[in-house]
Amino acid sequence: MRATLSVRRFLVLTSALLIAGCNRGPDATARPTVALVVKTLNNQFFVDMEAGAKAAADSLGLELIVQAPEREIDVERQMQIIENLIQRKVRVLMLVPNGSKEIVPAVVKANVARIPVVVVDSRVDDGTLKAAGGTVATFIGSDNEDGGRMAGAYLIERLGRTARVAILEGVPGHETADARLRGFRKALAGSPAMQIVASQPANMERDQAFNVTQNILQAHPDITALFACNDVMALGALEAIAAAGKGTAISVVGFDAQDDARKAITERRMAATIAQNPREMGRLAVLTAHRLIHGESVPAEQPVAISLIR
Amino acid sequence: MPTQTTPEPGLALQMRGIRKAFPGVQALAGVDLDVRRGEVHVLLGENGAGKSTLMKILSGALPRDAGTIEIDGRAAALASPREARGARIAIIHQELALVPEMTVAENIFLGRAPTRFGFLDQPAMVRDATTFLSRLGANIDPNLLVASLSIAQQQLVEIARALSLDARILIMDEPTSALTERESARLFATISGLTARGTAIVYISHRLDEIFAIGDWITVLRDGRNVATQEVRQADRRALVRLMANRDVDELMPPMERTTGTPRLRVEGLSHGNRLHDVSFNVRSGEIVGFAGLLGAGRTEIARAVFGLEPFDHGTVYVDELPVDIRSPQDAIAAGIGFVTEDRKREGLVLSRSVRDNVALPILRRLARLGIVHRKAETAIAQSSVRDLGIRTPSVSQLAQNLSGGNQQKIVLAKWLATGARILFLDEPTRGIDVGSKQEIYALINELAASGVAIVLMSSDLPEVLGLSDRVLVMREGRITGEFTRAEASAERVMACAVGI
Amino acid sequence: MISSSTLRRIVRGRESGTTFGLLVLCVGLWIATPYFATAANLSNVAEQSAVIGVIAIGMTFVILTGGIDLSVGSLVALVSVVIGSALQRGVPVFAAVAIGLLAGVVSGALNGLMITRGPLPPFIATLGMMSVARGAALLLSDGRPISGFPDGLRALATGEVFGVPAPVVMMLTLYLLAYLVLTRTVFGRYMYAIGGNEEATVLAGVNVRRWKTVVYAISGLSAGVCAVLLVARLNSAQPIAGIGYELDAIAAVVIGGTSLLGGSGSVIGTLIGALIMSVLRNGLNLLGVSSYLQQVAIGVVIIAAVLIDMALRRRVQRSSR
Repeated sequence: MRATLSVRRFLVLTSALLIAGCNRGPDATARPTVALVVKTLNNQFFVDMEAGAKAAADSLGLELIVQAPEREIDVERQMQIIENLIQRKVRVLMLVPNGSKEIVPAVVKANVARIPVVVVDSRVDDGTLKAAGGTVATFIGSDNEDGGRMAGAYLIERLGRTARVAILEGVPGHETADARLRGFRKALAGSPAMQIVASQPANMERDQAFNVTQNILQAHPDITALFACNDVMALGALEAIAAAGKGTAISVVGFDAQDDARKAITERRMAATIAQNPREMGRLAVLTAHRLIHGESVPAEQPVAISLIR
Repeated sequence: MPTQTTPEPGLALQMRGIRKAFPGVQALAGVDLDVRRGEVHVLLGENGAGKSTLMKILSGALPRDAGTIEIDGRAAALASPREARGARIAIIHQELALVPEMTVAENIFLGRAPTRFGFLDQPAMVRDATTFLSRLGANIDPNLLVASLSIAQQQLVEIARALSLDARILIMDEPTSALTERESARLFATISGLTARGTAIVYISHRLDEIFAIGDWITVLRDGRNVATQEVRQADRRALVRLMANRDVDELMPPMERTTGTPRLRVEGLSHGNRLHDVSFNVRSGEIVGFAGLLGAGRTEIARAVFGLEPFDHGTVYVDELPVDIRSPQDAIAAGIGFVTEDRKREGLVLSRSVRDNVALPILRRLARLGIVHRKAETAIAQSSVRDLGIRTPSVSQLAQNLSGGNQQKIVLAKWLATGARILFLDEPTRGIDVGSKQEIYALINELAASGVAIVLMSSDLPEVLGLSDRVLVMREGRITGEFTRAEASAERVMACAVGI
Repeated sequence: MISSSTLRRIVRGRESGTTFGLLVLCVGLWIATPYFATAANLSNVAEQSAVIGVIAIGMTFVILTGGIDLSVGSLVALVSVVIGSALQRGVPVFAAVAIGLLAGVVSGALNGLMITRGPLPPFIATLGMMSVARGAALLLSDGRPISGFPDGLRALATGEVFGVPAPVVMMLTLYLLAYLVLTRTVFGRYMYAIGGNEEATVLAGVNVRRWKTVVYAISGLSAGVCAVLLVARLNSAQPIAGIGYELDAIAAVVIGGTSLLGGSGSVIGTLIGALIMSVLRNGLNLLGVSSYLQQVAIGVVIIAAVLIDMALRRRVQRSSR
């Protein structure tokens, strides 16, 4: 059939081109390329981080690629993105892992490809990393545990040492959220009158936080405070609280200092949030990448200051 | 031939030269129909004569190929149901077109509910519904859900709907098929009331008693043409039956001489709810037993029961004089029974698969070893089937959907023959098939019988049944109402049993 | 094994549309970026397609019969957690994997029973199972991921057979097996018959109920194999794994030319569909395209693939009349 012949010819031609093209190497790009892989770009925090990184990249003459999976919980997708970027032969990989332990194989792949790994904001699990023989160049981030502690201390001060507290956890197993929780709980440990009556995960997502908060309010209508591991969840909780008509009775503290959260604080709907300065993290990450490309050494830990916004 | 050609005063409906063709079939070949105001005009004819097609055209559901329609002397296009409604034509189908979960009032005003400032005006709707219902003498609460009404009441709701449309022409398709005698009587009273007010009614029915009770005029259709138009006063029952059934019988081959053997299949006392009542018959090897009757008489139900598709309340089935317990098609096939269903596209073939796949489907297990199909054996069987039955197809890999109706039916036959069936149920085997293929299939059926297969032939095509069968059994409303040998059987006698004279 | 007549059928047949699409995509990417057509990258792409590719095998079977299985994503999580829990308790790798796969098969069979005995529409039955399995996974693991597994398991993801990554070998073997089953066995024929016309198949004496249950069990098994791969790759069993995988699997099947109505299609098409999606994602990563645009791109590809397939089908029908 005529159609078959032409399709066949096309296939042969294409395959020949493909094979011929296979041996093309990377073309000499003017600027070195670095990659930033965040948890997800559906979160203001990481959009800010991207902005800080971009600004730094432009001023330092670096080509920046930013990629992320759609959901914070998707580790597999992040791994695939990293594998692809390794093929892209980026000079440095900056990473905010979706799974502290799960991402280790990807880190090892980067090591093997001689691409330095800069970890930002959420740590890679040290034990797992060592067991797999991997290394990271540096960690840039806030001390999440310290931030959690600050949040706890603020609540104690604001509510006069007595309160019934609910907690919205993040994604189980995420080091960031775990650290914040740890800090918060430690801060409250010293004040027995601060009772934690409920602690539920809402996977760092706003609508899940809404539902979980509604359920918590059903079971514990008399809570006086709520701590959410990130602002996205805090905002969802705020709406559930408003819907239940308990707007003034509950002090809500978030984390990340997103614009919406800052607005809510100015409007006195939310009590406080912890500012991490993601923009600065992004800037620092790119700066570190630039240094690594030029063979300079970098410190193993680069803390970024946190502050309480109230 | 039509007996009126000059338009009469008081003519509500005049249809002239209506033609309609479907792929492969000329459903209407120039039909005329005149209905005066206040007249009940009965439309008679066998299944496939063209009645429903004509009515679909009149109600706007189908476009006509040619012909004119005049309503009250004015030409009407009737290109859509809305236009037909606009021309004040209403149709009450055999299967009532009501929404069971809505109330009577909502159904009466379906799609035309009265509104006030854009909102549903419930009180007005109920009020108007009550008006129309009472005009019919129907004592039905408009707020009841239609699902809670009896069929007779539902029918009245449909008529009320037609009234609310201020229909001038009302088409009623087999309206009494689900009614008791008393309810039918009340319906007839209603009809009288309607005609007194000038409504023209086209009434489709098989029931001769009714026709003579309420009809004014009769038009008989056959094969898409007018055969007779008479006043009821002047009509004769027997003559009507002859008009409906009579047609050329020379399409069929003369039957070959067959010797019949022992009873292959015997059914005793088969009963199922109110669909089948004490049906008993037998079929010998080499014999063709034909089941005649109108649609819905219960023939398909017998086949489905014996083939294990439907359970039945009472009755025993014997194959080769041994009782069998058939609960599924698998059991039936194992007992050597095959079933060529009436709808080959829906039940007989997997249209998206090839000829080979379709022929081999019931016997795949036999053609396989350790679950792997023996391709060569499969192809061989398919090819020999194609050869033996004269199936016209470029290859056995051709998809079933690309073959003509006649060849598709042959594939279905081939499939059952491949299972080695010695008892074969054929339900409407030549429906929707062109004349040439019909002949071939008749020849095949004869050959099968000659080779010893016991055949049960179910068909509403009278000449087919009469031409092929050694014995004819007539069914009516779930019972066997007559049995004729080949010599005794005639179209009039069979028809008479079928309609219940 | 793959005869010349099969090759001819592929070129002339409906899979040619999808293969054509894949080639166009590859050529386009080869031109757009030098990093695409390297051996290492192509190997990555193949490996990345294994995760959805394996689930899509079971999904193809299910869709061929005219059904659908929305629970596979949750089944991946459930089986992952079962395997993880078993390994945590010191069960040897081989046995843990076997137990996990069994859990997948049983869950799938449950789907099948709900659908055939209920009878529930497949959409509803598997939607319910989607919730139940996810909940079971979370319960079993107390919501936390389980990690730290013996090397034997990790080898399934990192190992190589003659230079080809183990997941790819696994995927191709399973596809070959599925292809043979669908084209050469009685069971395979029944799949197409049931999807093409279930009533007629019942009338032909086939035990449709039994085979439909088996088909959903196969889908559960596919999800189980995917879980094994994931656990090996991530070295962790996550109860939140697999979210959205059912949609990706369905997309691969649909892009591959299998009709959602059932009765026509092939696993070869599904394989190509899975490859198209992986190649697309890989290419967009390599080109640094914004993540938001990536989501749009994948949706567009699915719609385009189905439209092209429908057009081709109409052409094939008309030309063979």
